[in-house]
Amino acid sequence: MAEIVLNKVSKIFPPDVVAVEDVDLNIRDGEFLVLLGPSGCGKSTTLRMIAGLEQISKGELFIGGEAMTNVDPADRDLAIVFQNYALYPHMSVSGNLGFGLKLRGFPRSEIEQRIAKTADILGIRELLNRKPRELSGGQQQRVALGRALVRDPVAFLLDEPLSNLDAKLRASMRTELVKLHNQLGRTIIHVTHDQVEALTMGERICIMRGGRVIQTGAPMEVYRNPADTFVAGFLASPPMNLVDAHLAEDGNGLAVAIDGVRLPVPEEFVEAYAGYRDREVVLGIRPEDLHSHGERPGAATLEVTVVTVETLGPEVILIGALPNGAEISARMGRDFRARMGTRERLAVDTRELHLFDAETTRAIPRPKTKVGDNGT
Amino acid sequence: MAMMATGTVSPKAHRRSIAAQDRLFGFLISAPGLAALLLIILFPIFFTIFTSFHDYTLIHPNFETYTGLEKYSEALGEGYFRTSIWTTIRFVIASVVIEFMIGFTVALMLNTVQRFKTIYYFILLMPLLINPVVVGLTWRMLLHSELGIVNYVIGLVGIPGVNWLGDPNIAFWTVVLVDIWHQVSFMAILLLAGLSALPREPYEAARMDGASAWRCLIHITLPLMRPVITVALLLRMIFAIKTFDIVFIMTKGGPGTATDLISYYIYRSAFFGLDIAKASAMSVLLLFAVLVLTVYLYRYMKSMT
Repeated sequence: MAEIVLNKVSKIFPPDVVAVEDVDLNIRDGEFLVLLGPSGCGKSTTLRMIAGLEQISKGELFIGGEAMTNVDPADRDLAIVFQNYALYPHMSVSGNLGFGLKLRGFPRSEIEQRIAKTADILGIRELLNRKPRELSGGQQQRVALGRALVRDPVAFLLDEPLSNLDAKLRASMRTELVKLHNQLGRTIIHVTHDQVEALTMGERICIMRGGRVIQTGAPMEVYRNPADTFVAGFLASPPMNLVDAHLAEDGNGLAVAIDGVRLPVPEEFVEAYAGYRDREVVLGIRPEDLHSHGERPGAATLEVTVVTVETLGPEVILIGALPNGAEISARMGRDFRARMGTRERLAVDTRELHLFDAETTRAIPRPKTKVGDNGT
Repeated sequence: MAMMATGTVSPKAHRRSIAAQDRLFGFLISAPGLAALLLIILFPIFFTIFTSFHDYTLIHPNFETYTGLEKYSEALGEGYFRTSIWTTIRFVIASVVIEFMIGFTVALMLNTVQRFKTIYYFILLMPLLINPVVVGLTWRMLLHSELGIVNYVIGLVGIPGVNWLGDPNIAFWTVVLVDIWHQVSFMAILLLAGLSALPREPYEAARMDGASAWRCLIHITLPLMRPVITVALLLRMIFAIKTFDIVFIMTKGGPGTATDLISYYIYRSAFFGLDIAKASAMSVLLLFAVLVLTVYLYRYMKSMT
């Protein structure tokens, strides 16, 4: 059992810089959890506190039910993979893999056996006698991973392990890590600032900002129901459009007003949003919930002036300006064409509207969009 | 016309001519410096080599008699010169090894210090900033067997006075210790620079692997520091082998030949023995030894990049 529990964990660097504040996390045994956030959000510090490389200033850490807050890193039975691999430069690959086992007094035959097994899993058998400087970035990455695997720890801590790889290699390593996780069934905590990594790899994502946990949940749950404007604007590329708006009375119901343009609030949300009547809000809408008007006749519409059109191949991103000047992006079909400066009407999927409190930036609670519900 | 003229020159040739102009300009601005180097370094070296092949003494200062390698065999056959070579080797090994051990320990300690770092650096650098002649004079006074403060202080705790510079068995180590006092900070600073540039991650990986501080030192710090250590040792050896000033000021090679280092012996041969040619031959031998070390250092540093 390697359930990892963080109970109100904080890290304060002297004199009084709070890097991590009151983090509560419950990582299940065998789970693949991604700590996601921009640089400086405290995600790496949190990971390093779990590893024991940083002292926990306040709070408690439990691994497999045992208190580990002040236990030496070597005795936590965790393995970490560093962003720049941190291989021992003067040791061969097999030396790197075997060093930890040697220090722990494993018999030589078992060390060799484990090195061979790990090398087979990662496909680095022919590299065993090479020095790190003779390896490519991708190969070094594998060796770093191997150094963690060979110890067979209760959990793996990965500190931005893919960020030094080129885009293509990163994509294939993502898949491999997920495969490895399925194969080993061990707990993995993966720190990254790359939202694509988080969405594609994690069973759960924990989004951090300013040393605090903002939201934790399954990737699609977080994606469909962001807890605040930060999460909404951080996940996916292009991210959710966020526009300042006003929640106004509209006959029997409510409407989101953006400088005279009105989008009716669907009936099922009216009750939830009623408390925000006549107040400033932030409207959030994902680019894929904006459609070409022709596809959705009868739907509520927004009119934009075309600023630019980005052709991506499978789709086209339309960037348009609302009458109040705010720019929004919309995912259009690959055949979409528009000239700059022309006006374009976009159909809005109003059931996919998100409203955020303009002051606190928190999402205004409403019936959750269910994952798997395509909203149409 | 001008346009037509440029039109006929191919772009490649044009680039070449610009490169040639650049080279000429580079040569012109470095010429005065090169000339000065030639005059004050290369000329004396070649003059020394030339002298070493002739019977040139201060009694007969002329180049009339060509002696070939005679002066070299004369020098090497001389017991005093061989003794001075041996003394120099002992001096270089003793001072460099002890300097390394102290320097590395100090560097390791300073590398972990967070507060008052500048103050420690300042204290550490002080001896290096002092002229070697002043170092020699100061220590000669401090270590004076009758009037020196060192003997006075150890006398206070009941230790009898030591004849620091007068006892043939002690004088050698006194010179070594003064040299260490003067030069150890160079070693410490160089090693400290190396230590502070080491990556942090291998140490963290080792901590996760369960390595103790001692294991980290043996398995990570020393292997990672090898290039810096090699360069520091070689540099100090090159400097130490040429040591002259503190011997000249403190012991004049004595008592007897206890501190007679090569460079001081060469000086004595030239200006007391008056045999400039033989002294030149010894200088060429010393130059050769330094050159071997320097070439090795140069090659090593080149192989690192």
